[in-house]
Amino acid sequence: MGFIKDERPQTICVEGTWSLSSYHYKGSKLLEQYVKGLKQKKLIGSFCPGCAKVILPPRNLCGRCHRIMDGRKTVSDRGTITCYTVSPAITKGKLKVLGMDPVETGLIKDGEILIPVFVRFDGSDSNTDTILLNAEPKAVHIGMRVKVIWAKEPQGALSDFEGVEPI
Amino acid sequence: MIRRVAIVGYAQSHHQHNMQKTREDMVFEVCKEALHHAGILREDLDTVITASTDFLDGRTISSVFLSMAVGAFLKDESKVEEDGTFALYYALMRILAGTHDVALVEAHTQGSTLNPHQVSFYTLDPLFDRQVGVLNDVAAAGLQARMYMNRHSVSEEHLAKVAVKNIANAAENPCAHRQMPDVSLEDVMSSKLYYDPIRELTMSPISDGACALILASEEKAREITDKPVWIEGVGSCQDPYLRDRNIQNLDSLKSAANTAYKMAGVKEPLSDLDVAEVSEKFAHEELMIYEALGLCQEGQGKNLVESGTTRRNGEMPVNPSGGALGADPVCATGLIRVIEAAKQVRGEAGAYQVPNVRRALAHGQFGICAQKNTVYILGGNGS
Repeated sequence: MGFIKDERPQTICVEGTWSLSSYHYKGSKLLEQYVKGLKQKKLIGSFCPGCAKVILPPRNLCGRCHRIMDGRKTVSDRGTITCYTVSPAITKGKLKVLGMDPVETGLIKDGEILIPVFVRFDGSDSNTDTILLNAEPKAVHIGMRVKVIWAKEPQGALSDFEGVEPI
Repeated sequence: MIRRVAIVGYAQSHHQHNMQKTREDMVFEVCKEALHHAGILREDLDTVITASTDFLDGRTISSVFLSMAVGAFLKDESKVEEDGTFALYYALMRILAGTHDVALVEAHTQGSTLNPHQVSFYTLDPLFDRQVGVLNDVAAAGLQARMYMNRHSVSEEHLAKVAVKNIANAAENPCAHRQMPDVSLEDVMSSKLYYDPIRELTMSPISDGACALILASEEKAREITDKPVWIEGVGSCQDPYLRDRNIQNLDSLKSAANTAYKMAGVKEPLSDLDVAEVSEKFAHEELMIYEALGLCQEGQGKNLVESGTTRRNGEMPVNPSGGALGADPVCATGLIRVIEAAKQVRGEAGAYQVPNVRRALAHGQFGICAQKNTVYILGGNGS
């Protein structure tokens, strides 16, 4: 018998769409603010008043200062690739990107590669992992300037931020 | 340290892919052999500490079914998650506290139970990185490698040279998984590409394996053996989560090493140490490890492998046993490094013995991009 995911009348609830299998993870309200920001095509990070660092996607705690990051800051949707890799050929059913099969959704063709990247968005101090689209693997380099590819009709979900592309 | 503590016996399995033994049988054999190697009985043990990861073991509280295999029947027993070097740290503290005198430390993984690279996905933040869905330990290693290589002008050939060194060394080690005595640079550079630039032969193999060692207080150690291997220094540290750290450096390893060096009185690692056994899960990590351990300046790791300094017959041999590229039964890999370092100190490393080892370093790690690191400095009677 597998896990049974029961309904719970009282728990922490955040609006948005996450693929969580049988688990009931308690999500931070920051995530809700983050996806609401995505709906407006904004990247909202958390700001630490102690060390002035801006973290994207936001989190509640600063380990260095050991305090709550109670500030918010909207950062640019343009940034710089800090590192990249190129995946093996991706076939249908092999992985889910933002909850969807990238082959089934037409993001890539069956057998094509993906380019996972870390991006440091202008105004942030952390790496955000995403995928580089509309670029050839040979053209990608550390320091490449990129911008967010926004969903045509943002829904307030992580998938509103589809990836990045070269500027 | 408030008491001296020594390694007095050890054993490891013949690490391999898909071993035809149950987890319990595999663990039992190494524990029995470690007791035999030390010349003591199960009854002589005061405490037993094991290390594994529930996800990799495929069961929770995964030590409950192991108490018989590890010799802990009606004895004090505890378990730590992740690398065996963390279990050794726990056992060391128990002996230092004066409450126990003899400990058995065991670690294992059967990578064939569930692909460890799939398991690594579950170490990621479930509400963001797992939703994005493009990372696991190999993809993250690809990101780290590219970042490091870009900063320090390191080529894929440098990574391949690390792999050739360690895989060729592994061929002299009967316990190693990879047995490729004739491995060449071409073999490595043409091996299957996973996440660029990570190739089949620049990452560790998926191994089944276990190891065990016996730890004793000074008084007991001198009763048990005339060749104790003393723990002269230890340090442990962890980096922040993947997205919030600078993955092109191993800052926590540097900190762990400095703590261990201070305790052991190591001032110039390159000259004060005779050999190092490190947990390089990927070839590029070994270059980063050289730098974090202070064997060279930042960015100069490639020079140590180019010059042959870290070959088995070099000035500072690193991984004469083959390291993690030779075998990687995940949670056992760090403790195997400790055992290999102890073998070098005792002169028991056979075909891959480094001459005149007085002081050895062993390193264990766990987590994506080597997030957690532990360093031990071991010495013999004459050190």
